[in-house]
Amino acid sequence: MASEDEINLLVIVVDVNPIWWGQQAQREPELTLSKCLDAVMVLGNSHMAMTRTNKLAVIASHCQDSHFLYPNKNWRGGDNGGEDASSSGDGKYELLSVANNLIAEEIRNVMTKTEVRGNSTETLLAGSLAKALCYIHRVSKEVEVGQEIKSRILVVKAAEDCARQYMNFMNVIFAAQKQNILIDACVLDSDSGLLQQACDITGGLYLKIPQKIALAQYLLWVFLPDSEQRSQLVLPPPAHVDYRAACFCHRNLIEIGYVCSVCLSIFCNFSPICTTCETAFKIQLPQMVKPKKKKLKQST
Amino acid sequence: MYLFSMASLSEEVLLVVKKVRQRKQDGTLYLMAERIAWGPEGKDRFTVSHLYADIRCQKISPDGKAKIQLQLILHTGESTTFHFSNESSALKDRDAAKELLQQLLPKFKKKANKELEEKNRMLQEDPVLFQLYKDLVVSQVISADEFWANRLGDMNNSDPTPYNNKQDVGISGAFLADIRPQTDGCNGLRYNLTADIIESIFRTYPAVKQKYGENVPHNLTEKEFWTRFFQSHYFHRDRINTGTQDIFSECAKQDEKGLKSMVVQGVKNPLVDLLSLEDKTLDEGYGVSTTTPSTSNANRTVKESSNAAIIKRFNHHSAMVLAAGSRKGQAAQMGTRGILTSSSLLLNPFFSLAIEYEDLQRENRLKTVALNLKKSDRYAHGPVPLQSQHYTTSQDIINSVNHIRHEMVNYKPNLTQVLSSTAASSAITALSPGGVLMMTGTQQAINQMIPTEVQGELKHLYAAAGELLRHFWSCFPVNSPFLEEKVMKMKTNLERFQMTKLCPFQEKIQRQYLSTNLTGHLEEMLQTAYSKFHVWQTRRMLRKT
Repeated sequence: MASEDEINLLVIVVDVNPIWWGQQAQREPELTLSKCLDAVMVLGNSHMAMTRTNKLAVIASHCQDSHFLYPNKNWRGGDNGGEDASSSGDGKYELLSVANNLIAEEIRNVMTKTEVRGNSTETLLAGSLAKALCYIHRVSKEVEVGQEIKSRILVVKAAEDCARQYMNFMNVIFAAQKQNILIDACVLDSDSGLLQQACDITGGLYLKIPQKIALAQYLLWVFLPDSEQRSQLVLPPPAHVDYRAACFCHRNLIEIGYVCSVCLSIFCNFSPICTTCETAFKIQLPQMVKPKKKKLKQST
Repeated sequence: MYLFSMASLSEEVLLVVKKVRQRKQDGTLYLMAERIAWGPEGKDRFTVSHLYADIRCQKISPDGKAKIQLQLILHTGESTTFHFSNESSALKDRDAAKELLQQLLPKFKKKANKELEEKNRMLQEDPVLFQLYKDLVVSQVISADEFWANRLGDMNNSDPTPYNNKQDVGISGAFLADIRPQTDGCNGLRYNLTADIIESIFRTYPAVKQKYGENVPHNLTEKEFWTRFFQSHYFHRDRINTGTQDIFSECAKQDEKGLKSMVVQGVKNPLVDLLSLEDKTLDEGYGVSTTTPSTSNANRTVKESSNAAIIKRFNHHSAMVLAAGSRKGQAAQMGTRGILTSSSLLLNPFFSLAIEYEDLQRENRLKTVALNLKKSDRYAHGPVPLQSQHYTTSQDIINSVNHIRHEMVNYKPNLTQVLSSTAASSAITALSPGGVLMMTGTQQAINQMIPTEVQGELKHLYAAAGELLRHFWSCFPVNSPFLEEKVMKMKTNLERFQMTKLCPFQEKIQRQYLSTNLTGHLEEMLQTAYSKFHVWQTRRMLRKT
């Protein structure tokens, strides 16, 4: 029956934006990147310990690129060199200790290679999500015929949203929705509209945690159960998502606006010519009612 | 002739019968355009008056009885009996009345029933409508007429031509076989002829109709004509002995001629155009079934043997039936001598369907206008987040990066010290029901807090209020005195609705459940209607003064 167990794949995308984390370390030293990664590791271990067939992947989302922390290339060829590193001596399930070591090693590599670049200070979250989707797709293809696999993505977000990634983000969200992949979000600092939409559209959970030092507890309580188990639990209810569109002229969120019928661009004020497609519009003014002239009675 | 009845109508009088007794009183019976009435002798008024629509059926006393009576039975079950007491002409009078009634009653019966049937059907099919009917009419908020005024619009507006246009009845191919003769006991056969069969015979064999027209009623009675018809060998299968005494021998000769000419004409359409015999969709239409197409490929040199005669009879019969069915419709005129030319084949719509393919023909693309976007990058940007972007100076960036690099160089996971118990317990409290993060849940459960019956009642209230408001708002702008009356009536209806339905409902939910305002919107709608009415009324007053 073991081969008939459903495979659950959890992909954790961790935001390791060095600028934000560096500033965070100076603002609130209680939660540093190390502690955050520890909490993520605890979640990963728990997930793998739940069922033998559970799988894990961890991606670090940097401002330069996205890295797979686990599984990575070192693991494959690591049968010889791995023996020393994996024997942690505390009787831990080998898979877990291997994973932990790999993650730690890889993150060290990533962070030491960080370069300072002024123009890119934002996390490349859309790219990391795309990589996660590709990985999920690959794994589901490699699985045996007849074996079911369910996947979800958990995003641990630290820095703010990047407006430039909007289109890519939305594409990723819709691709995930089509593939029935949940996107959950655990937000540490500022609310992210994009992730709220992602969670709403794909059916995942969005949570902005009030206490950063209890990150591990929140992760285990809310994000460890998979979608089937969540229906049996009492979890935070979904928040109201702001789906208002932004006008093309000022990028403000508007509730009532004008839409060009040719190119579907949205404006907050009426203008007789659409600036995107240069179509001219005529609006009919209300008809002026002419006052009726009273006929004067002819006096005979 | 005008008569004053209880309802003071002046209708056209179709028949007057004197000396008709009703309830042992002498009087006169009047049959008018829409009703039957009886008034006692010497008086001007009718004591008995029934609409034809109310009469379910009539009965007459059997032939042998002394009293010659006519009884009318109404839908309600009541019955009225008229005794025809004129010594000389009682039977004739009674029969005349009966005949007239027989003609008139069906006309009125259908109309009344049809409306009621239609209404019943509509109510049964649509439970929402039924509920609306119960809410509004049964509880007397509006009258039944108003309720049905808009709904039956389709039925009343359509012209009553379905009742006037009689649909052409098709001819059954087996109509001759259906006349099953019954043995009469002693060597005789009894044929049952109905009007339908007679009509089929006349339509299929015009020659017989001609003979009938010539001989009846001058020479023969109808009965004799048909007896001769069935006796004649014309009718029987083998037509060998065609004696000249038989009046139908001419028919046989005519049939031969007809068959020969049909052979000469040839088959116009080897693919019998079944579409020309299609259903006429008036009322309950039935399709006309076609018998097998007759391809009369009979040779001219057919021998007068009995087998050939039978086959010929069958072919002829089939051809006549088909011809009778399509005689009224258009005849496809193709080719002069009936020889199938290639052009006539192509004109044949059935053929053209078979040889033309839509997708092999040239495409007719509609001319389109290309979309011309000047600033297409606008679509790519999402909304700008409302919080202000805080700037990071380059020095900040450098500091942060260095710091983090320094921190992570010696990173070792320390999984035993991840969480302190106080932090954990405070997180758990926040996540438990009633905690900080779970608060938004209670606001969304309003539809779970109100039981389903209350929700159902609310829905019915909305439906009823919507119907009344629709009637009300459709009166504006008020152009005619009819609309004025209607708008005032609707306002009183709305007030009545509010008093009888809305207020008790409100009280009920206030007593039993939370003080959630379920009826606020309904009240708002009613209030808007009232204020509109008030405005209209004041304007009207001002105009009058």
